[in-house]
Amino acid sequence: MSYDPSVEADPDLDPAGDPENPNAVGSAACSYTEYEYGSIPDAADLPATGEGSEGLAADVWNALYGVDDPEMPISVVDLGLIYRVDVDEGGDGSEAGDGMIGAGDEGASVTIDMTLTYSGCPARDMLTGEVEEAVASVEGVEDVTLRLVWSPEWSLDMVTEAGKERLREFGLSVE
Amino acid sequence: MATTDADLGSPGDLDEGEREAVEHLLYRLADDEFVLAERYTEWQVRAPTLESDLSLSNIAQDELGHARLWYDLLEDFGYSESDLVWERPPGEWRHATLSEVPFAEGDWADAVLRSYLYDVAEGIRLSALEESSYARIRDRVPKIRGEEGFHRDHAEGWLERLATDSGGLDRLQSALDRLFPHALALFAPTDPEIEDRIDDLGLRTASLSEMRGEWRSEVEPFLSELGLTVPDADRHTPHGRGGDHTGDWDDLHDDFTHTYRELGRTEARRIMVDPDEAES
Repeated sequence: MSYDPSVEADPDLDPAGDPENPNAVGSAACSYTEYEYGSIPDAADLPATGEGSEGLAADVWNALYGVDDPEMPISVVDLGLIYRVDVDEGGDGSEAGDGMIGAGDEGASVTIDMTLTYSGCPARDMLTGEVEEAVASVEGVEDVTLRLVWSPEWSLDMVTEAGKERLREFGLSVE
Repeated sequence: MATTDADLGSPGDLDEGEREAVEHLLYRLADDEFVLAERYTEWQVRAPTLESDLSLSNIAQDELGHARLWYDLLEDFGYSESDLVWERPPGEWRHATLSEVPFAEGDWADAVLRSYLYDVAEGIRLSALEESSYARIRDRVPKIRGEEGFHRDHAEGWLERLATDSGGLDRLQSALDRLFPHALALFAPTDPEIEDRIDDLGLRTASLSEMRGEWRSEVEPFLSELGLTVPDADRHTPHGRGGDHTGDWDDLHDDFTHTYRELGRTEARRIMVDPDEAES
């Protein structure tokens, strides 16, 4: 597994900045692409749910639906934390995405934009770790880049209808 | 929030002068939040009511979360958490002295007044970052603003409550006399030339003196209305932004880095192994 150094990864996951390894995420001022900037999704288009996705992308979304919030029985997708998923199948060119460097023929590169409900979330590392692990375990995925994003700000409006139902069953007062 | 022509671009696109300005701005923001949160946690299990204990603990957690959002952007430049927090010499921290001075012992008036003075300033400086020319800063502002509103409500509610009682009012006045010079330090420059550059590059859309004026015009009428006299005081020396601090800061720094040093750490430990590392 390797990270694509051209995009930001969660700095918590590899804060080393290893001078011996210029490809390490967190190493000094590496080459960032424009891809990550100026592409803030419209809040009205969120949450991203993977509806209508097919093939490997559908498998990735299924894996994401399998990751629950640490405190409530609701997946990170239904909670509205996932803002974007890009699956770059590289070699066969079928879903080349947004200037990402291709992953070669061996498998797809998946980039996930994800937020958290709360900036001080103590489960940040746990949750991002679980998401990465879940997606990395999908057959056909070669590497995963998870980026924490903060715009637009998460709100209850981002919870899916199915998610709101789950929260009500859990005993929370939701709308 | 589309990118504009004036945008500075990505971390790797900055020239040396731009990067220095971005770093100074980020240290101002992050260090204030981190150090004030360190102080707030001293009230855990000691606040006057269970409700206020939970509130202030939660505010401390918010400020730590915000510090983390700003430190993340310093990590873009290659710094690690250890570089930024656990191993940074105390003389390289750029928070204002308002964050570091200890609370007068058991003085809840100090805690709520300090929170008020700080949170008004924080609101003003976040406004000045909404249109920052650096997208990585700009994108984080709404999230932080969204979490700041209740800090103000909490502080103002307590100030009004304390001010109705003459003993409370006396304690507030004494805290105000002590804290006001430190609050003015919030608007002190890390380095005057670099602060000018921060403004010229559009990293921030209001200068330090403009923000100080706005802050005074907001806090002074509110405090007077409570029955307090705003002192005619100068900014505290040292102010902290340039790296010179009070002796209390050395003690606090020693305290929060104690465990890291005692355990002989050279890097910040993670609860979870990076799943990619675990597989290889």
